[in-house]
Amino acid sequence: MNGRERLLAFLTGDSVDSLPLMPITMMYAADFAGVKYGQYVTDFRALVESQIAIADAFDFDFVSCISDPAREAADCGARVAMFEDQPPAIVETDALLASKSTLSTLTIPDPRTATRMGDRVRAAALFRERVGDRKLIEGWIEGPCAEAADLRGINTLMMDFFDDPAFVRELFEFTLELGVQFARAQVEAGADLIGVGDAAASLVGPEIYREFVWPHEKRLVDELHAMGTRVRLHICGNTTSILEPMGQLGCDIVDLDFMVPMDKARAAMGPDQILLGNIDPVRILRGAAPETVRAAIAQCHQQTRPRYIVGAGCEVPRATPEANLRVLTDYARSTMP
Amino acid sequence: MPDLQELGEAIKRGDRDQSAMLTNAAIAAKVPAQEILDVMVAAMDVVGQRFQKNEIFVPEMLIAARAMKESLALLEPLLVDAGITPIAKAVIGTVEGDLHDIGKNLVAMMWKGANFDVIDLGTNVSPQKFVDAVRDNNAQLVGLSALLTTTMPAIKATVAALKAAGLDTAKVVIGGAPVTQEYADEVGADGYAPDAASAVNVARALL
Ligand code: B12
Repeated sequence: MNGRERLLAFLTGDSVDSLPLMPITMMYAADFAGVKYGQYVTDFRALVESQIAIADAFDFDFVSCISDPAREAADCGARVAMFEDQPPAIVETDALLASKSTLSTLTIPDPRTATRMGDRVRAAALFRERVGDRKLIEGWIEGPCAEAADLRGINTLMMDFFDDPAFVRELFEFTLELGVQFARAQVEAGADLIGVGDAAASLVGPEIYREFVWPHEKRLVDELHAMGTRVRLHICGNTTSILEPMGQLGCDIVDLDFMVPMDKARAAMGPDQILLGNIDPVRILRGAAPETVRAAIAQCHQQTRPRYIVGAGCEVPRATPEANLRVLTDYARSTMP
Repeated sequence: MPDLQELGEAIKRGDRDQSAMLTNAAIAAKVPAQEILDVMVAAMDVVGQRFQKNEIFVPEMLIAARAMKESLALLEPLLVDAGITPIAKAVIGTVEGDLHDIGKNLVAMMWKGANFDVIDLGTNVSPQKFVDAVRDNNAQLVGLSALLTTTMPAIKATVAALKAAGLDTAKVVIGGAPVTQEYADEVGADGYAPDAASAVNVARALL
């Protein structure tokens, strides 16, 4: 089976020849291909070639458009600092929605022609051309809560939940629609699956998650399914207190960060939910010996099998030893779900 | 007699209007400033502990700290009149190259809540900026935050710069998700705390 066949079969519950493998690489992929990260995030050709190089070298089952959280915000007009060899950074002290009244003036950029979103749509199209049906092509969008944090400033948004719930709902309506349109453009260009990064959601507790975040994430997941694509949800950070509702979103893949005990996730989400993750990217994957990496990934697998995909808790960090990343490949390819 | 316990509860709930109202009422009733302050500090201690135990999360913590800050501002003139000064002057910031500030903000607020005078330098702060701020303000306490493994070396550089500038009497406390006690020992920092509640205890113990 090739990577795309393996993943598509696994997602629909058909049998596969080995465990699927989907670690997130961004800066690691750029470094691997000798591309500066500033170029990776601004030139879809650099991203695509780097992703193909890393996916081929480590036999990943997918390639991904993921790069940084600032694409949508930048095209909406947020101030974003660019760096030669670092990810872009949204300037939070000068947030686009520092004043709430600006929200009513915002319009959703056309994802195909806007500068940074368009670059990602072109990446999806070029992936389709370059990898064809060999590997699964992953598009990427910010989730409604994360995008709201990008536009409003994450510190301010956290207090808005209490100060002005109506504003938060209105903002989430906007970010939801922004995500849907961006996803649709990537799907039309060739993406097989959409990754949704909703990092800011790990900062709120179960009450706020259920009241504000979950309903919008749910609508997003439903809209993505309605356009015929599949969904990988990734919430960076410790989501232990919101596992149960996350499991009720209907995502094809729930990708968990390393602070979440995998056995708890399995118990909270039931036997059918596909889980992905979640070894500690920095301390284990980058910092430990290969034997330790192997033991850690085997433990994730044991606690969740059989509906499990191999990966780290978050992005594979820069300067991870190749031998350690190779452990994930070897484990996946030599093990059945 | 205004209800000081209610004031503590209002701060814990993050109810800024109520806490301001109760602070003003306590001031009008001539409750000694120290007593009002003690109630606020105790309330923030509880908030920090709840956060530590995952009973509350970032939003609840931020609004509690804001209520505390606003009440403290109302009390400040009385504290000055009564000769009650902050127990220490602290400089805090996120190190160079790093833009994560939620954890740092919480530590800064907890320190304020513990009656430290806190100067917050923000994010992406160079070693030189820390040196200047510590020197200019005669700070006894320095807080350095880093959330990225790639910016942890900037903690080391900042500690070294403070030493080189002869400012090693100021106690340096470091923190942030990837930071550990071992790392603090390695770079010669005076203390480390895993969360905002213990950051207060560590700072109190060092001063
Ligand atoms: C929110 C977030 C962001 C936001 C930050 C917004 C902001 N204003 O802060 C944004 C989107 C901008 C962001 C960007 C990036 N991020 Co980020 N981010 C996070 C996330 C999800 C939460 C961090 C957080 O706020 N936690 C909540 C607070 C309350 O916890 P805390 O910070 O740990 O603070 C507590 C303690 O550590 C301690 N503490 C903190 N500071 C101090 C200081 C002192 C003196 C003391 C005593 C104690 C102390 O007390 C605090 C309160 O209890 C984490 C994941 C995670 N779970 O940590 C990733 C994470 C920190 N980010 C990560 C990465 C890689 C990045 C990016 C490089 C991503 C990218 N490719 O674009 C960029 C880098 C930007 C930059 N140059 O800094 C990685 C870091 C990996 C590593 N160890 O190197 C993490 C761990 C995600 C992951 N799993 O890989 N991120």
